[in-house]
Amino acid sequence: MTSNTSTDLRQAAEGHRPSAASRGVYEYVVLSAAGLFAIISLYFVGSIVWQALPAIRHQGLYLLTGTSWVSGGATPALSKFGGLSMITGTIETSLIAIVIAVVVGTGTSLAINLLLPSWMRTIAATTVELLAAIPSVVYGVWGMLVLAPLVISTVGPFLNSLPGGNAVFGTVVAGQSLLLAGFVLAIMVLPTYVAISREVIGAVPHELIEASLSLGATRWQTIWKTILPTGRVGLLGAGALALGRALGETVAVVLVIGQVNQLNFRPLQPGVTLASWIASQWGEAIGSDQMNALFALGALLMAASLGVSFISTRLVSRQRSLVNR
Amino acid sequence: MTSVSGITDPQFEDPRLLPAAMSLRDVSVAFHGRVAVRDVTFDVPANRVTALIGPSGSGKTTLLRSLNRLHDLTKGASVSGTILLGDTDIYQGGIPTTVLRSRIGMVFQRPNPFPTMTIYENAVAGLRFNGVKKKSVLDAAAESALTSADLWDSVKQRLNAHAATLSGGEQQRLCIARALAVEPEVLLMDEPTSALDPISTKRIEELMVELKKRVTIVIVTHNMQQAARVSDLTAFLLMGEDRAGEQIEVSPTLKLFSAPEDQRTLDYIQGRFG
Repeated sequence: MTSNTSTDLRQAAEGHRPSAASRGVYEYVVLSAAGLFAIISLYFVGSIVWQALPAIRHQGLYLLTGTSWVSGGATPALSKFGGLSMITGTIETSLIAIVIAVVVGTGTSLAINLLLPSWMRTIAATTVELLAAIPSVVYGVWGMLVLAPLVISTVGPFLNSLPGGNAVFGTVVAGQSLLLAGFVLAIMVLPTYVAISREVIGAVPHELIEASLSLGATRWQTIWKTILPTGRVGLLGAGALALGRALGETVAVVLVIGQVNQLNFRPLQPGVTLASWIASQWGEAIGSDQMNALFALGALLMAASLGVSFISTRLVSRQRSLVNR
Repeated sequence: MTSVSGITDPQFEDPRLLPAAMSLRDVSVAFHGRVAVRDVTFDVPANRVTALIGPSGSGKTTLLRSLNRLHDLTKGASVSGTILLGDTDIYQGGIPTTVLRSRIGMVFQRPNPFPTMTIYENAVAGLRFNGVKKKSVLDAAAESALTSADLWDSVKQRLNAHAATLSGGEQQRLCIARALAVEPEVLLMDEPTSALDPISTKRIEELMVELKKRVTIVIVTHNMQQAARVSDLTAFLLMGEDRAGEQIEVSPTLKLFSAPEDQRTLDYIQGRFG
């Protein structure tokens, strides 16, 4: 009898294929792991919102518009928890961080992709990516001990010496300030921004770059008129992703922002962010109505971060479909 | 007019006797020291279509891209020999690359309009790169270039629509218009119809015959029928034993496809390889 090789192979394969019953077990394990994850996520979001509700009920809009943060102690009716300074501080530091990160990061990505010789490319890219591996407390300590004195001795006086410098930037008092927090945040989110923007710029079709150059464009014109416009959606997405990181960064900010609950807008003044306030107030808040107010700030921060990261994911995937058409 | 063996048509003119728009002398292109095309020498007749044909790997596109210094972008690429545009040696610093590329336009294998620009902006992109700002000048140039590219009538109502809304054939004609708007002396076309359907291909072939009245065309094509239909002069390249492309024969198209001088040309056009 001649053996039919293909039939033998098929039978052998079938011998290793899981039976219907054991496939059922696999599915069960995988599905319950996924289900557990879904339940934990829902529980996480749900409990934060649940804990925030009493504060929302008692403080109402004052949570968003008020500027004092006073606990009534035994008389909760006297408690006033206003989050406006934290909200504006978060927005201001994040904006400073994003502006710096986008300008420096876009330049870095362009250089890595287009200007540097290939052996330097890898070194530069790896260096930037390694910045992401440094724990944020290190950035905070560095900002506090190295940069803050620089702000007092050099940066602050320089900004104040500009015409209208005091009115625009505020008078420098301490190094810890919104500006310093924004700057430290910029360095911290730079790896995130560069990782995405490098990919975006690298994915701009070579044929468009050639089209541009073949029309007599200079390298500079090609960057400004062809590469950046073609990648703008993805660069926006990279910026949004970096913004998401900046919004929630806590430890480093606590160390460099000054932690003062004041409604300050001038960059050289100290301030506070949602995340840094939650972290610094936690110890005295447990068990009181202040805890609910902190949860409310946490819920707000969570919503903002999720919203920004949702937008960034959409933008980056829109860029991918734009380029891969 | 000198007689060319194998041609009986009394109307026949030998394009090799016409004034040259570009001249190639011993042109070789190498990548990281490995030669891709070797010692190509011929003249590109002004206001005629010159076709570069040959099998894959024969260096047609590589040679074409040396004519507007597009290899400058490629690391490890080097071009030797002499390439003249008129009397100017384009590799000897006599002419800045940006100026060179506005005098020698290029159309690519796949339509590549700028996806973030409108039809109008694509048409005038080259002029804007060259510093033209005046709207009346740009408007006139856009209309004239789009008309020359046989596209004006179908897009004049939607100049502000994005280029991606056009069909593939229309996009390629937009790319031709974009190249023409700068008023180049030479237009390089790298397999410009390989991504297009037969009807779009036919329109672009007709366009080439029309355009050669004002611009010299050099076209790379895989399609021998296309070379026979549109070109006046044909250069046949073939990969040699060391895998570098070599020039086998440069003849008037009519002659190359009817009575080629080289046996290898005959084998190729009769489909025996490639």
